[in-house]
Amino acid sequence: MLWMRQFELACLEGVPTREIHGELHTGVGQEAISAGMVGFLSKDDAMCSTHRNHMHAIAKGVDLRAMLAEIFEKSTGICGGFGGHMHIFDPSLKFSATGIVGAGVPVALGHAYAARLKGNQAVAVAVVGDGAVNTGAFHEAMNMAGALSLPLVVVVENNEWAISVPFSASSATETIAERAPSWKAHGIRVNGLDVEEVANAFEAAVIRARSGAGPSIIEAMCYRFRGHFEGDADMYRSKEEKERRRAEDPLERTKEILLGRGLATNDELNEIERSVVASISEMLASVRKDPSPAGKDATRYVFAE
Amino acid sequence: MTVARNLNLSQCISEALHLEMERDPQVLVVGEDVGGQGGVFGATRGLQKKFGSGRVLDTPISESAITGMGVGLALEGYRPVLEIMFVDFIGVCLDQVYNAIAKNHYMSGGKVRMPIVIKTAGGCIGSGAQHSQCLWGLFAHLPGLKVVAPSNPYDAKGLMASAVESNDPVVFIEHKGLLLKRAEDFTFGADVPAERYTVPIGKANVVREGTDITLVTLSGTVAPSVLAAEEAMRKGISVEVIDLRSIVPLDIDTVATSVKKTGKILVVDEDYLSFGLSAEVVTRLLERKISITSVKRLAVPDVPIPGALSLEQEVVPNERSISAAIAETVGKA
Repeated sequence: MLWMRQFELACLEGVPTREIHGELHTGVGQEAISAGMVGFLSKDDAMCSTHRNHMHAIAKGVDLRAMLAEIFEKSTGICGGFGGHMHIFDPSLKFSATGIVGAGVPVALGHAYAARLKGNQAVAVAVVGDGAVNTGAFHEAMNMAGALSLPLVVVVENNEWAISVPFSASSATETIAERAPSWKAHGIRVNGLDVEEVANAFEAAVIRARSGAGPSIIEAMCYRFRGHFEGDADMYRSKEEKERRRAEDPLERTKEILLGRGLATNDELNEIERSVVASISEMLASVRKDPSPAGKDATRYVFAE
Repeated sequence: MTVARNLNLSQCISEALHLEMERDPQVLVVGEDVGGQGGVFGATRGLQKKFGSGRVLDTPISESAITGMGVGLALEGYRPVLEIMFVDFIGVCLDQVYNAIAKNHYMSGGKVRMPIVIKTAGGCIGSGAQHSQCLWGLFAHLPGLKVVAPSNPYDAKGLMASAVESNDPVVFIEHKGLLLKRAEDFTFGADVPAERYTVPIGKANVVREGTDITLVTLSGTVAPSVLAAEEAMRKGISVEVIDLRSIVPLDIDTVATSVKKTGKILVVDEDYLSFGLSAEVVTRLLERKISITSVKRLAVPDVPIPGALSLEQEVVPNERSISAAIAETVGKA
């Protein structure tokens, strides 16, 4: 979680300097969900992510430096600078992302169908936000996954806001989890600030998928600490709401659990934090020295042949 | 020349898919009614029986799921052939087509490939505005897609083989007016070998040689263009007819060679007129500073395809309007 938080903070440094010249969407405050997925997937399992994808990629094991270099528009980036922060691809880990809301779920469906064809135990994970669940693509993919009983796990990060429109104003159902039975899927709503709750639900969904029992939806409640993108005036959420919700920091919550159970001491946690901050800071300094992609290469890669 | 086999064009496509699926176990066919039914035009007949319901998947009417699934399958190393029954239906899933299938190779810096065929039926058969479009100009405008539209059985089979083996996404538009036409009824490309062969994507075909005017077209308007050219010959006008076969890549070299000889160009396009194939062909010739004394574009004049035959005949190129356009191009109208 600390790596994820510090990675996002490092990205923020590139915005005022224009090193990142376009939109940047960070997931600060939603770390417990990605952290809850760590440890249950292998490189043969697929993950399809969103415009807010950095922490999902970290959970899947994508190389941090290569990703940071992509976000900072360097030729050393994981996609050579051709993708940008919303379009991270790592085929060696079956990780991909899309900037189109809801579009990753049908792609994950394809990975899930591939697992069926190959007859292996692989699962496909689609991570989406609450905005995506109202797209047609989400319904089409869920229906087909249910009809074919495919190994698909959909993790919905419900941060309650689709840019400026609250979830409560845009969903016919009170929860997303309750929609699951209509697609022969298992649905559960969890506290997305609680890494253990997420991990337990995720593990169960992955086991269910691997056993051939079909798709699951995990609705993880959370809060987006920052605007939809960097530069978002974020006037749609009241100051009071933002202050109150940001006080429920998943990192602090995890820290308290570790201390309360005697799993770590304050000194140990501070030392870990110092070390992660130093590593990310060194990584950022190093990435900043990398070259930009050569402009003449812009017409490469349109076609493979 | 051997006697043409008793096949229609859709059977030639099905034969190509049989051979590709036999040759490469990674080839899949996914779409609506492609399995048990063998496709609404019969172009996937027999595939499910031979290769099973895993490799030949009947889907719900969920085009976003079909195309998105194709992306995931391609990321897993498969070569999916996705059938979108009519090209008009692409509207409900264009996102996956142009934001993922067309762009993933580029956005990943060449790391992932999208060897996907989007197989779809286009062209006019009297079904009105939502079931009679060609739309190849739309796909060609979006970078990252190859766009193929065959005009005859020989090309259909060979181009499909090339499309399936291509590492790039290919939109393969079959003309509905040709799909059920028997091979023996074609005056060109009627002889279809039973074995596998390929026709390269991006190489135009000079269907008929001529010296006075270059007529550039593809798909369903090649046959009426050839008939119109024969009629023009009787009036002393020699028309060279070029079947582009694909519009991405566009074989402008073959067109340029012809126009250097004739100096006159007529583009016959069953797609919409503006911002499309006809302007692209002419502009590329001008960019090459090729001397052109006469230009004419015959395409659907920026109206939806009407329902009634009397209205349709007015706007969709046919032998009569092509003949008139030939006469205008040579200044004998």
